[in-house]
Amino acid sequence: MLDSNKDSLKLEAMKRIVAMIARGKNASDLFPAVVKNVACKNIEVKKLVYVYLVRYAEEQQDLALLSISTFQRGLKDPNQLIRASALRVLSSIRVTIIVPIMMLAIKEAASDMSPYVRKTAAHAIPKLYSLDPEQKDQLIEVIEKLLADKTTLVAGSVVMAFEEVCPERIDLIHKNYRKLCNLLIDVEEWGQVVIINMLTRYARTQFLNPNINESLLEEGSGGDKTFYGSDEDEDEDEEEKEKNAEAPAMAKRKPYVMDPDHRLLLRNTKPLLQSRNAAVVMAVAQLYFHLAPKAEVGVIAKALVRLLRSHSEVQYVVLQNVATMTIKRRGMFEPYLKSFYIRSTDPTQIKVLKLEVLTNLANETNISTILREFQTYIKSMDKDFVAATIQAIGRCATNIGEVRDTCLNGLVQLLSNRDELVVAESVVVIKKLLQMQPEKHSDIIKHMAKLTDNIQVPMARASILWLIGEYCEHVPKIAPDVLRKMAKSFTNEEDIVKLQIINLAAKLYLTNSKQTKLLTQYVLNLAKYDQNYDIRDRARFIRQLIVPTEKSGALSKYAKKLFLALKPAPVLESPFKDRDHFQLGSLSHLLNAKAGGYQELPDWPEAAPDPSVRNVEVKDSVRAVGTVPEWTKCSSREKRKEKKVEKPFYSDSEGESGPTESADSESDSASGSESGSGSEESGSGSESVESEEGSESEEEEEDEEEKNKKKKKKELKKPVQEIKLLSLFPVEPAPSPQVTPVNTFLSNSLVTDLEGLSLSDTVLSPATIAPSSALKNYELLHRITGEGLSVEYCFSRQPFSPDANMVAVQMQFTNNATSDTKNLHMEDVKLQSGMRVKEFPEIELLPAGETAAAVMGIDFCDSTQAANFQLCTHTKKFFVSIQPPVGELMRPIFLTENEFKKEQGES
Amino acid sequence: MISQVFILSSKGDHLIYKDFRGEAGSDVVGIFYEKVTALTGDQPPVVMSHKDLHFVHVRQGGLYWVATTTADSSPFTIIEFLNRFTALVKDYCGSLSEKSVQMNFALIYELLDEVVDYGYIQTTSSDVLKNFIQTEAVSSRPFSLFDLSNVGLFGAETQQSKVAPSSAATRPIQSSREQGGKSEIFVDVIERMSVVIGTNGVLMKADVEGEIRVKCYMPSCSEMRIGLNEEFSIGKSQLRGYGAAVRVDECSFHQAVRLDEFDSHRILRLCPSQGEQTVMQYQLSDDLPSAPPFRLFPTIERDSGGRLLMYLKLRCDLPPKSAAINVCATIPVPKGSVSLSQELSSPDQSAELKLQNRAVDWKIPRFPGGTQLSALFKLEVPGLSSASMLEVGPVGLSFELPKLTVTGLQIRFLRLSPIQPGPSQRWVRYVTHSDSYTIRI
Repeated sequence: MLDSNKDSLKLEAMKRIVAMIARGKNASDLFPAVVKNVACKNIEVKKLVYVYLVRYAEEQQDLALLSISTFQRGLKDPNQLIRASALRVLSSIRVTIIVPIMMLAIKEAASDMSPYVRKTAAHAIPKLYSLDPEQKDQLIEVIEKLLADKTTLVAGSVVMAFEEVCPERIDLIHKNYRKLCNLLIDVEEWGQVVIINMLTRYARTQFLNPNINESLLEEGSGGDKTFYGSDEDEDEDEEEKEKNAEAPAMAKRKPYVMDPDHRLLLRNTKPLLQSRNAAVVMAVAQLYFHLAPKAEVGVIAKALVRLLRSHSEVQYVVLQNVATMTIKRRGMFEPYLKSFYIRSTDPTQIKVLKLEVLTNLANETNISTILREFQTYIKSMDKDFVAATIQAIGRCATNIGEVRDTCLNGLVQLLSNRDELVVAESVVVIKKLLQMQPEKHSDIIKHMAKLTDNIQVPMARASILWLIGEYCEHVPKIAPDVLRKMAKSFTNEEDIVKLQIINLAAKLYLTNSKQTKLLTQYVLNLAKYDQNYDIRDRARFIRQLIVPTEKSGALSKYAKKLFLALKPAPVLESPFKDRDHFQLGSLSHLLNAKAGGYQELPDWPEAAPDPSVRNVEVKDSVRAVGTVPEWTKCSSREKRKEKKVEKPFYSDSEGESGPTESADSESDSASGSESGSGSEESGSGSESVESEEGSESEEEEEDEEEKNKKKKKKELKKPVQEIKLLSLFPVEPAPSPQVTPVNTFLSNSLVTDLEGLSLSDTVLSPATIAPSSALKNYELLHRITGEGLSVEYCFSRQPFSPDANMVAVQMQFTNNATSDTKNLHMEDVKLQSGMRVKEFPEIELLPAGETAAAVMGIDFCDSTQAANFQLCTHTKKFFVSIQPPVGELMRPIFLTENEFKKEQGES
Repeated sequence: MISQVFILSSKGDHLIYKDFRGEAGSDVVGIFYEKVTALTGDQPPVVMSHKDLHFVHVRQGGLYWVATTTADSSPFTIIEFLNRFTALVKDYCGSLSEKSVQMNFALIYELLDEVVDYGYIQTTSSDVLKNFIQTEAVSSRPFSLFDLSNVGLFGAETQQSKVAPSSAATRPIQSSREQGGKSEIFVDVIERMSVVIGTNGVLMKADVEGEIRVKCYMPSCSEMRIGLNEEFSIGKSQLRGYGAAVRVDECSFHQAVRLDEFDSHRILRLCPSQGEQTVMQYQLSDDLPSAPPFRLFPTIERDSGGRLLMYLKLRCDLPPKSAAINVCATIPVPKGSVSLSQELSSPDQSAELKLQNRAVDWKIPRFPGGTQLSALFKLEVPGLSSASMLEVGPVGLSFELPKLTVTGLQIRFLRLSPIQPGPSQRWVRYVTHSDSYTIRI
């Protein structure tokens, strides 16, 4: 069928072949027939051929080469989708001979103009790397180039490649760090995860530990310390240093100042906590946990609790991580205690994890509620869960002294439970608890001794026997009796119980040899012929030790000390205690074992590496030119972020697509807006992204202007309220959509989507800040009347920095005469009342044929009255006047789109 | 990074197997299945390891969806990916079942090809994917009486023509092409409630999680506006309007939702992409606007013959017009219960003693609001003691409340703009499920 002319037949045939692959059958015999169809025009057939090819190319290398030329042709196709898919399949064919071809194709595609193809190139890099690791250096070059890419589509993929090929080359990130931080919110969600993880590692190597001072304060005051639990595991040496430093003076230590880039990262990741994707939320959570100052870590708790409402698999992993976090930072999750209550529908493993979290969260204030919760859990039908609950109660009791008695009483009540498992588990826990204060509870021990008749679970029996042996002096009457019963049933017991019987016998022999001597010997004799060699050994050992003979005199003296030494009470610990050395959210953390390729999170550096490596040099050179450079976007976003720290501005998550789409419809521009849960956030979300960006960049320009304004002077005054009357609003920048001629054979919309994602900023260059030469020039002094000196002025439409109420007037002096003009200044200003003038600085010398520029400020008081003054040179004086035309008395202010519309409606 | 992705049927048949990185042999499928089936318990661990290989799986639609990885990648990523992938398959194939996966393997391969490249996840957005996917889905929907019987489930038996069969929402998104652009939109408001009622009948804990789901079959979808109740308020302090406010504690929205009008008019605006998406999620805890739907009045005693008598009165506090369906009360009974005799108030109810669970299941197919049912169970328990009376544990209820939301959230209107050229149909349905409804005795 594959040789048929009809596409439909071919399709049917390919489907059958792929079905064979799917079932795991070998279809490699058909390779030649299939490869022929690689050039097939039908896209459906083609895709299935690709599936086949990728699967079997490695086995049939020679034949696979036949198809290479088709892909090479595909790489030149005008359609970006075909280019991309050709590259993808080409790079997926694992045939070593074609490595050079692949390298070439990747390099070419890396500079392709379609971001989709560049993204595919980024994906191809690790494939080639795994095929031939020797290409690493060349591939790193490509990665470096792609890292500099400003498209959100590419960013995620290239960081994936970076992580796989050269995670150690952290220096490649420096230059792109800020860009990645700023792009982060717009990157595709899977890319976000990878980038966040990479940035976490990066930040750990580049910034200082933000908690240095806090842990120190804690140590100083001591109050907070208990709150967080004493197991702060700040670096050991750090803590030591602190202790040493504490004595001299606290003030000596310089306060920690967070690197602005560190702050930038934290700020830009925070809105991602609202993400729909659990992986992103967790990535941000671990970033905050590992990087943020203690005071700020709290924000992740809410997001993590939200994840608990998701699929049970996600819950499972979240709870694992929460369990680890609660050990370190208990306070963080305390407000959400109720969210960890167990539901009857939860699967067992989730119940157990929730118990773990609840136990970690328990403290003096909430223990009573938690214990009441636990009480109901014990009734559950899920046995493993009940056992875990009892253990949890035990741990609560050890951790919190006040409730120990309550817990113990509760557990003793459980001993009368009909369920053996519950009883057994309680016995084990009670044993551990009793060890802490045995003298008070001899009645409990007695009660437990009675239980030996009923309980069959070996572990519980062993525990009871051990208890009785250990505290036999508290129950002198019962102990021998128990031993008697046990001796009777010795042969039928489990090994673990037998060992404890021997132990009990030995201990009783030492304390009460009169009553138990014979019993002990009987037990030891039984043990001597036991099947288990462990028990036989133990019996021999004990016999030698306790039964005094001539040989072992020395040892048996100490036997009592050996057996009845005070044993330290066991510490009931969380199984999650040791997990925190793994990075949260990683697979290794989940497994509590190192998974392949796990990279240890580096420790904080002692001193911060030079932060200037992250500076991008292009900055200054481009700024001087005065055009709006591409990177401005980054920095303007940066600024905006700074201003808006309080409101997480999630709505611009896809804002990049705004300008292009809004050409068609305004309302589309906010397509990406999503606001967080709070209603106050939704308020800010309603502002249109487009206007935001437009005005932002204006504002940015304003800032720049202000810096440059040092040389300009002169001013007038204008009341703020009346601005509307005479002023025009600055024109909103007209977004010019970027249309790229791409032959779309599938869908146009995708192409525009992709293009829209690109960060090219030309569209945003605001019209208001065009160079002043574009503005209308007015003549102040004609060169005839000025005897060779001509003066022109224009209203530069920029704020006059020395005085906000003044209008900036840009003056241009041209000396057309043959001689130099000196001491150019102004004098004798005649003004209407209220008007003010800020003079321009004197121009010392204006050589013949030269021009000079100066800025003066005039406050016209919102009138069109002229400002009259004399323009003086070293020889002459000219009477001149500046009269503002209507429409020039204005200053740029920045408005959001909504405000603009409102104002427009009013005027 | 994902090494392999495969889908197994519950019997262990290979349905789909794709190797992305060539890192592990193909026998892993067998290893995985052995591991999964060897385990007992209600749910095998999400992550399992075999040598260097880690299996991450989710179970949906009775199938195992497994991804393997060798490297240390975030387990969240993989789980989330598998969940998204199942959602995609569901969108494209209509439903998740062994049959639909088998019939659409070519499509699923194509999807996998676009979604994952060399183990890296590229995109899972159905908007982006629809540009790449060529294969048409094969719909495996046989005609069945089941569909018809389900009609009544959403009420309005008298107006059958106006109610879409519940299966209407389970068809592949792309089939709209061939069906002549029959454009439909389904909006579901689904709430799940978990409630704990104490021994004294006091509501101890109540939690409602709700979501608004939109399933869109519009070939070219324009903007859609969903109007919620005007009185809808978020948080405790905020109160809107007079009368009974519809309040939630927290809500979050899909990123495509625009909230320009949400503050003023409680209108969600969005351009839904094809397939299913959750537009809004919300939670309400502890402060239900109405009484909990069910109350139980138990009397438990021992009769002279040494039998355990349980007299249960169950009252449904829903408004009289609505009814709960598929109600099932699970009453744990003492260990060693041997047999059960029952007296139920109507013949359509049933009760059964499940020995391995040690519980009595009392099933009520339909339970109208404002009514009360009673049941008398007599249990033969040899050696009944007073201690074992305590083992009559908390009663768990599971139920479904069609056409009702506990929070009172309603959809005021559903508007498409601009008006679609062809006939477009919009469906809205409400349902509340029980998540964990426990009444302690």
